[in-house]
Amino acid sequence: MAVSHVSSNSLSLNDRLFAGITALLLGAFLVFGAGLANSSVLHDTAHDTRHAYGFPCH
Amino acid sequence: MIVKYLLAALVAGLFSGALMTAAQEARVIPLILHAEEYEGGEAAPAPAGTEAQPPEAQPGSTHEHSALDIGAVLSEVAGYLSPVSVAYAHGGEAHDDEGGIMFGMSRFSGTLFANLVAGAGFALLLAGVSLVSGNPITVANGALWGAAGWLAVHLLPAIGLPPELPGFPAAELADRQVWWMATVALSAGGLYLLILMDGLAAKVAGIVLIAAPHVYGAPQPADITSNVPAVLGAEFAVAALATTLFFWIVLGLSLGFANEKIAKADR
Repeated sequence: MAVSHVSSNSLSLNDRLFAGITALLLGAFLVFGAGLANSSVLHDTAHDTRHAYGFPCH
Repeated sequence: MIVKYLLAALVAGLFSGALMTAAQEARVIPLILHAEEYEGGEAAPAPAGTEAQPPEAQPGSTHEHSALDIGAVLSEVAGYLSPVSVAYAHGGEAHDDEGGIMFGMSRFSGTLFANLVAGAGFALLLAGVSLVSGNPITVANGALWGAAGWLAVHLLPAIGLPPELPGFPAAELADRQVWWMATVALSAGGLYLLILMDGLAAKVAGIVLIAAPHVYGAPQPADITSNVPAVLGAEFAVAALATTLFFWIVLGLSLGFANEKIAKADR
């Protein structure tokens, strides 16, 4: 097991970066789908959410 | 181990998304429904789907201009109960393909679903920034993380593109989306430099990054006339920013809580 560079963190540096990048990619995918994707079905489902969050809409 | 951090973010995001749905119902959703009554009046050539709207949603009905009046509440309730998504019949809106809410959900269910997805997405993004930068989110600093997220995703982009009501004039959608995404990314990077990095150079670079998209300028519509009353727009902009601030504070706190309870439970 690699020595952790962040003593207060239970993850090794590699695991932490892997978890972080995975979270960023997954999060960006979900936010894009809910807020920005140019699909009528997604737009109509998320319509009020898009307006309420101030996503560019219409 | 990695999965636990992602799970903590998901739990916090779903929780915040559910609370956000409740917060939206208080003020933001009634304002959206109210604005849709004005949408597609004379500015739009054909208010398609008007015949499908319930009587209380017809333009020209006897509405007071308060967002919290009985008519708005009735219209809201009708929106929930209706099997057809009446409110999506945007006049003058050109969709190439068939729309409609996925899985045949009601309008409220669609909004709740989208809030849960967006909540999980924003939670994962916030957790990702925390993990990559090596600054853990805790209950103690969670509200500040949330506030920074709100600045990057909502307040700073709103300087150029304020939250819009249906029926508001706006520039080309793709241009606004590109500007919005760039502004969120630059604002997040700028806030990272400003808050988490030491040194004068980092602070100055952070401010430059935050200011850059506004110096460049957001895409603006050529014609700013609208059928939607300006008062509704002002009320909506404040309501949208206030509810998203609530969302991000809850998200930061619950992510800090989830991190401490779930991710580190097996240490």
